[in-house]
This record gives sequence, C-alpha cells and structure tokens, in this order.
Amino acid sequence: MPPFRFPVFLKPPLQFLKKHYYSHPFLLFTTTLKTLLLFHVITRYQYSIDGTWGASMLPTFSVFGDHVLIDRGYRRGRGVEVGDVVTFDSVVEPGEKVIKRVLGLEGDYVMRNTPGSGSQEMIQIPKGHCWVVGDNLGFSRDSRHFGPMPMALIKGKVIAKVFPWKEREWLTSGLNPVV
Amino acid sequence: MTTRRLFSSFNRGTQYGQFARVFGYNLFIFATWIPAVIFFHDNIGEVTRISGPSMYPYLNTSYNENQKEDRCWVNKFRPTQNLQRGMLVSFRSPYHPEVLAIKRVIAVEGDRVITHAPYPLPIADVPAGHVWVEGDNRDANKTLDSNHYGPIPLNLIQGRVTHVLWPWTSFGAVRWWEFKGRTRVLKGRKESALRF
Repeated sequence: MPPFRFPVFLKPPLQFLKKHYYSHPFLLFTTTLKTLLLFHVITRYQYSIDGTWGASMLPTFSVFGDHVLIDRGYRRGRGVEVGDVVTFDSVVEPGEKVIKRVLGLEGDYVMRNTPGSGSQEMIQIPKGHCWVVGDNLGFSRDSRHFGPMPMALIKGKVIAKVFPWKEREWLTSGLNPVV
Repeated sequence: MTTRRLFSSFNRGTQYGQFARVFGYNLFIFATWIPAVIFFHDNIGEVTRISGPSMYPYLNTSYNENQKEDRCWVNKFRPTQNLQRGMLVSFRSPYHPEVLAIKRVIAVEGDRVITHAPYPLPIADVPAGHVWVEGDNRDANKTLDSNHYGPIPLNLIQGRVTHVLWPWTSFGAVRWWEFKGRTRVLKGRKESALRF
C-alpha cells in the first residue's frame, strides 16, 4: 500500500477556512447558520429527499426504507396532472405528511367508493380541490374516506425513487394514450 | 485571456475597479442573508396586509371610507397549537390555493355549528383535525368562509394573527377572548369528533 499523503488539492480551501474562521467564533457561527438556512430553503422550495413508510402505496413504494426525490416546484398544486404522485400535509392528522396519487382535478367526475364494493355513485370535484387515492386500495386512507382535498395542502410532487440504490427509477404517471 | 482583460480593472487599482470590487463583495454578503429572512417569514412571523371586507368591522374598519388597508402581525410559530374559538387565523383558501385568507375560528373539532346559507345542511359537525372559520362581516355575501367550503383541515392554517399594527387607533393585541359571535355553536368534546 502506498504511504498516505495529504491530498494536495485540499490545502488551499483548508488554509482559507483557517485564516478566516480559526479565531473568529462569531463569524463561524453566523456562517454555519447561513449555510444551514440555505439548505433549508433549498429543501423547502427546490428539491428534497425524504423517507417513506407505510403500506398504502405498494407496490410503488415498499413499507420501509424507501427514499424519494420530491420536486417542490409543484407545491399548492401548480402544474399537477392526473396520475402524479404527490406529497401533502395530512387532512386528518395535524403535522403528518402523506404520499398518494392524484386521480382527479377540479371539475372531474370520480367514483366515490372502491370499485366493486357497492354503489357506483360519482361526484364532481369542487374548485381548488383534488381527489387522491393510494396505489394499495385495500390499505389506504385517502379521498374515498375524507373526500376531495384542497390543492393548497400539496407540498410537492414525487419525481423519483432514490434509495435503495438498486431500485432507483424515475416515477411515471402510468397513463398511456389510447391508440 | 479575454476574462483577464475584462476583469483586470479589479486588480489594477482604478477607482471604478475598486468600487466594483467592494460593491460586489457587499452585495454577496447581503445575498447570503436572504435565506435567513425567508426562514424568518415562514417559521417565525411576518407583517401582512388585510385586503377585503370579510372581517369588517374588526379589521379594515375604514373599508367604507378609504382604500387604506390594515397591517397586522401574523405569528407563524406553531399556529395550530392550542387553537381556541375566537382566534384569528391565516390560511390558504381551499377554493383558490394561491390566495391567503384571514378568518376567525368559530368552532373546533367535535363541535356542532348552526350554519348559514349557502351551506346545504342546517347543522354541521366539525370532524377531527378540522376547524370551522367564518368572517366577521354581517353581510354574508362579502365573506367566503366555511359556509361555502365547509370545515378546513388544521394543516391549511399557516399563521395566527396576534397583533394589529396599523392604523394607530386599533393598535394592539387581537383580543380574541372578548369575541362574541352571532353563529350558534354547540360545544362538544374533542374525543367525540368524527375520525375519517
């Protein structure tokens, strides 16, 4: 094994850091604070990677251990289309976040109940609301239970599954044009 | 090589070069404080203007006289913690996601509200995790509230109006505990609220 040498390209940045921050604790504190806040702004307004848990989106996401890439440019429902997987603040549990698929936008007609379970009643989604359903119909609490959801609750669109690395993929809406 | 010629004014010590260097540096330092301001506005509080007559006569008292809008302080730190009937909240409107609405909380989860037109049913139960909001205006046509779109989820609420800053005549804390509304509310218990 070759002897370990200090990587030369790291010297200038480290010297810069030492010169500016070594005996200036206040400057170090404010710079750390600004860096953390910059990451916070990027995570909230641009892109973020979050973990998921729960069985309501099988087989798209597993019960544990998946991490997804969320595009925050779609917050409040801007540019959301039918078939998108979106993340929103929960309608029933204050403080919780939920991932489901959008099946209807304002003005669309959707079926209220699970197909095959009784009435075939359909309702029209009011202005500013959307209809969200999980992929695992039997184990998902979604718009079939709490009704149309205000689009203002949507916080972003899930565009890719990132971890586990072997299962990484871009998420598609699954809608195909009728030939 | 062209960049060296373009930016050589910074190094040559000319007046314009020195000014541009110092100005650019200060601009950069100013820009690094922008995420802190954004964080403050999203999580701690901000000053907002009230537009519209839905909270008349409590807010925008001069709506019939001039175009001046009230300014108030919205507290964004944990706005839904310990929410009581009578508090003023700021939330994204369910009908228009890009519009911020300010209304008063009339009923919390578990309560029963006697509703006005255009709500289709005479009595509404507020489910778990929701609140019923209404505007103060006597004229029901001037306010778009829970009588139109029903109870709103707690996660829609992003701030609580705690103080009025302008005009000076109504400066001070919002005294939500002194509010007596005209809507009849049958108070219930949180545990008996409908859960989806």
